[in-house]
Amino acid sequence: MSKDNDEQINIESAWKDAHDFDPKDPLFGLTRDEMSGTDLSRRATLRLLAAGGALTFAHLIPGSGATRLAQAADAGGTLNCGWAGVGEIVTLDPAQINQVLQFQITSNVYSGLMHINADLVAQGDLAESWEVSDDGKIYTFKLREGVTFHNGDAFTADDVLYTFDRSKDPEQSIHSKVIANVANLEKLNDHEVRFTLNKPQASFLPKALERASGRAMTIVSKGGIEALGLAQYGLTPIGTGPFKVTEHQLGQGVVLEKFEDYFDSERPLLDKIIIKPIDGPEPLAAAIQAGDISYIGGNPVPAQLVERFQSNPDLTVDIKPAPGFQSVWINPWREYMQVSDFNKPVEELKKEKGFMVRLALAKALDRELFVKQALFGNGVPAYGTINPAMGYYYDEKIGESSEQAFDPDGAKALMASAGYPDGEGFPELELITTPSQKRYGLVLANIYKQVLGITVNVVPKEFSVGIEDFNKNDYDLRLGGSGGDYDPDDGLVDWMITDSKFNGPTRDKAKHPFGFFSEAEVDAVIAEESVTAEPEARKALVQKANAITSNKVACGFLYHPVDVQVYHNSVNFPDESRIPGLHDFDRVSIKT
Amino acid sequence: MQTEATLETPVHRQRENRLRATLAKDRKAQFGVVVLGLFIVAAIVAPWIAPNDPNEMTLDMMNPISAAHPFGTDDLGRDLLSRIIFGTRISLFIGFSTVIIALIIGVTLGIAAGYYGGRLDFIIMRYIDLQWAFPNFIIAVYLVAVFGTGLFNIIAAISLAFIDDFARVTRSMTLSIREEQYVDAARTMGFSNIRIMFGHVLPNAMAPIIVQATVSVSYAILAEASLSFLGLGVDADTPTWGLILADGRGFISQAWWLGVFPGLAIMLVVLSINFIGDWLRDALDVRQAI
Amino acid sequence: MGIYLIRRLFGAVLVMLAVATLVFFMLRIVPGDPIAAMLADAGGPEEVAILKQKMGLDQPLVVQYFKWISNMFQGDLGSSIYGSRQPVTQILLEALPRTMSLAFISFVIALVIGIPAGIISAMRRNTPTDTAVSMFAFLGLSMPDFWLGILLIIVFAANLQWLPAIGYVPMSEGLWAWFSHLILPSIAVGTAFSAIIARMIRSSLLEVLRADYMRTAASKGLPVKALMLNHAFPNAMIPVITVIGIAFALLISGAVVVENVFAIKGLGRVLINGILNRDYPVVQGAVLVVSAFFVFSNLLVDVLYGVIDPRIRLS
Repeated sequence: MSKDNDEQINIESAWKDAHDFDPKDPLFGLTRDEMSGTDLSRRATLRLLAAGGALTFAHLIPGSGATRLAQAADAGGTLNCGWAGVGEIVTLDPAQINQVLQFQITSNVYSGLMHINADLVAQGDLAESWEVSDDGKIYTFKLREGVTFHNGDAFTADDVLYTFDRSKDPEQSIHSKVIANVANLEKLNDHEVRFTLNKPQASFLPKALERASGRAMTIVSKGGIEALGLAQYGLTPIGTGPFKVTEHQLGQGVVLEKFEDYFDSERPLLDKIIIKPIDGPEPLAAAIQAGDISYIGGNPVPAQLVERFQSNPDLTVDIKPAPGFQSVWINPWREYMQVSDFNKPVEELKKEKGFMVRLALAKALDRELFVKQALFGNGVPAYGTINPAMGYYYDEKIGESSEQAFDPDGAKALMASAGYPDGEGFPELELITTPSQKRYGLVLANIYKQVLGITVNVVPKEFSVGIEDFNKNDYDLRLGGSGGDYDPDDGLVDWMITDSKFNGPTRDKAKHPFGFFSEAEVDAVIAEESVTAEPEARKALVQKANAITSNKVACGFLYHPVDVQVYHNSVNFPDESRIPGLHDFDRVSIKT
Repeated sequence: MQTEATLETPVHRQRENRLRATLAKDRKAQFGVVVLGLFIVAAIVAPWIAPNDPNEMTLDMMNPISAAHPFGTDDLGRDLLSRIIFGTRISLFIGFSTVIIALIIGVTLGIAAGYYGGRLDFIIMRYIDLQWAFPNFIIAVYLVAVFGTGLFNIIAAISLAFIDDFARVTRSMTLSIREEQYVDAARTMGFSNIRIMFGHVLPNAMAPIIVQATVSVSYAILAEASLSFLGLGVDADTPTWGLILADGRGFISQAWWLGVFPGLAIMLVVLSINFIGDWLRDALDVRQAI
Repeated sequence: MGIYLIRRLFGAVLVMLAVATLVFFMLRIVPGDPIAAMLADAGGPEEVAILKQKMGLDQPLVVQYFKWISNMFQGDLGSSIYGSRQPVTQILLEALPRTMSLAFISFVIALVIGIPAGIISAMRRNTPTDTAVSMFAFLGLSMPDFWLGILLIIVFAANLQWLPAIGYVPMSEGLWAWFSHLILPSIAVGTAFSAIIARMIRSSLLEVLRADYMRTAASKGLPVKALMLNHAFPNAMIPVITVIGIAFALLISGAVVVENVFAIKGLGRVLINGILNRDYPVVQGAVLVVSAFFVFSNLLVDVLYGVIDPRIRLS
């Protein structure tokens, strides 16, 4: 009784404390210690959560270890998972992974130095603690001791160095750019390493060192790679994570089994996880309804199935904002919508015919209708790269303030001033989508027809073909975007700066000085925010950059996806493992 | 001239009479002719009989069968009956046009190979043998991958895939016909090779070619449907039965009509054509297993 | 026979070589860049260049071609340029048992349905039974196989829950597990083939029954059953063997589509995925293996034909 009362009082005081901050600077009054350490301190985390409006009482319940102990009784069992929208899991080698659905699996097999938690805050994984120098350029990590790989090798600082050397070599890893800012990595002793950065980087912990989405510093096993060879390692890799891969046949699936020597003896709870790739919505629905699988991972659950799953009393459906965005990319080098220089005030730009069309194409996006018709309601209108899953950095008012906000009359007027009243005289445009997003494209084409009177032809192309056209600026419109964006840099640095990796990397540079967008102020603000460690200052810069890209139409921002988690009621999936976009099974159990 | 006419007319008249006589007795063939006829009419007058614009989207998504939507609506709120009626145009167009193209090329190759023989025959037949090593559908898949998708490319891919069938049939017929007396006669009268091939040999080789063509139309329609299903189909907005089925397959258990009606349309047309093919095979006395 | 066989074998190898050459060069005019796909998430032009160099994609086509051919003769078909870079030979070896299992069960289902249906309809010619069989055959031939597959999943897996919806389980995990996963896809693939068999058997039986020697045998008063078994059936099987050659084409074409419905990673799926991913080595390898089956099954049919009916060999 009294214990319960104490707990109640503790929760209330924590709640009060978390909300007791200057809204402009939620971290004011916290020490640097509370920002470094084993993780962002509990106080810092709670404040950030409260500032982002994401704090709930569930976060405050102390001793979550107690609930975990209670669940330990449910240890054991096999979890059958279906991986949606994919025919085969081609690789589990972090150096080659280029799909979210792949690192969803590897997050259970490998460890990194850091791993984000359910609130997208980086926590120590193999890093026990760390210190950041005052200039933000030197990170010293104390590594966990007594950690072993699945093959029995001990984990030491040498493995961090081996992974680093492998990942920074573009011949061996496709993620070398992720750690391009690291000037030097040194081993201090067997369980201490020190990273020296070229310049400070706010996203260093949650992006470069993240075990799932980061990939560059997901710790691989030298012994494993040498013993198995690259191809086999890509199928049955060896890591230090909670589960080991015991079987992997392309197209048939992956079998994970409990790693008995995982560094946390309380995890994992499950004995075995069987992951089957399932292509197509109907087979997926059939499989979970028939009980062949009891958990869905992989590509997003097809929108048309969500309502059906929600109405099934055997299933739990949990919907959260997903870390990503999707846009209509508008080629600024097409004659009838050309914008060759974005470095002018918006009012100036609005006097150019090319920009009028560009803005009209963005303004005409009836995002509410799109979400209803294409996504069956499962999405959030987007006006920038910063997504609602980021909580703290997300700008909830951007939908009202952006030049891109849906305005059919404004869009029509712009087309008319550009010389195309009711779309007359405007050429037909091609919209490139992937085959699975084709119906999204059809909805967009319909919206453009209704609002602007122009004809847009949807051209579904395989991802490999479409991205090639996009990279060399050979497209009119393209539907596409990003996923796994946990840090603002995943949206801003990867997409919005002049030399971002998708900004026309293979274009004819003599003809086109940039790909889809280039703006000096955006470049400068992003350069500044990415080295600003202080959250409130960074937030202001992030939102500033986000607003400019929105107003100057870096693209027609369309929607932020939602993360729909679907599992059988027999599965016990704790909140602390509910990381949007990922499926971490180390704390998951099956109810008996 | 006189010779030519007297040599041909009896064959034609005989054939026509036989066709008419057998059709009168063949219920399946009658069914096939009527149903295919109805589909062809529907294709021609589609804009007048379709209740809606086939591409008009509404928020009435996956609505079941009703008076307003006799076949229900699809995942984007479009009227399914209208889409199927318009789909008749494309599916039949692809079916017939591919076969006509394949027939023209294949027959030309086959007749030239069979008539001239020698090195030309050798070269043509090596190519035909090569293509023969693959099933038609696999070739179509591969060619679409090379050409890309789109109405024109699909037609090109399916047509090319069917060439070998026509070339083989025509060549084997030509080989036997070229030894016939009337061909010798034409040769001694000094007719040009082209004239003999297309004026004398071809008319007498037509029966199996017609049967082959009929069967091929149904295969072409099925091939188009399968290509769409694999993501190698016609453009995104053009309603074809294959595409409607492919697009609907993600919604089939919530909206069974999306999976049933386009499939039924395919089946009815293919069935009709097969009935007609069977009748022609009997009536024209074509023995080859095609 | 020996010379005939050697000549045919030589021809088959030539066809295979031609197929290989054609496939190699045509694939390289396919739009789409596998490296771009692989680096979609990270990497600029420099990384692309490095990777291309590493995989030999920067060399002249002719050089790549001869390298590929010479490796092929050593059983090395290269590696997938996508993801795990699995050796193509390994991918194909893994896919092979799946497609062979699917083809085998489809074949069995087709024979089990097709042969009795054909015999019955021939013996009861022009009765309602004959009409029913022929209607079934027509429907089987007119139904898109993937549509049938989807309908089967909805009825037997999702609603009745009698059979698994999708996937493949190797025989090592139990005979029933293996078989139960193959039933629905095999029906989808085999239905069209059973229709062909039924029609073939019917017409060839009728033909044989009309033949002179059968009339003679019948006039000698041999019982109908003995007649069918000892005379009609063996003779009627000759055209059926040709159909078995065609069967393979049908089964593989069917498998390409139906493997996609049932998420079975067989040869067909390997081929289609390869094409969609522009994974040259995989497509090359898959096409090669698939066409090898056609060329050699045609060869086998011809040889069998010669064994059964020596007249054909001579001509």
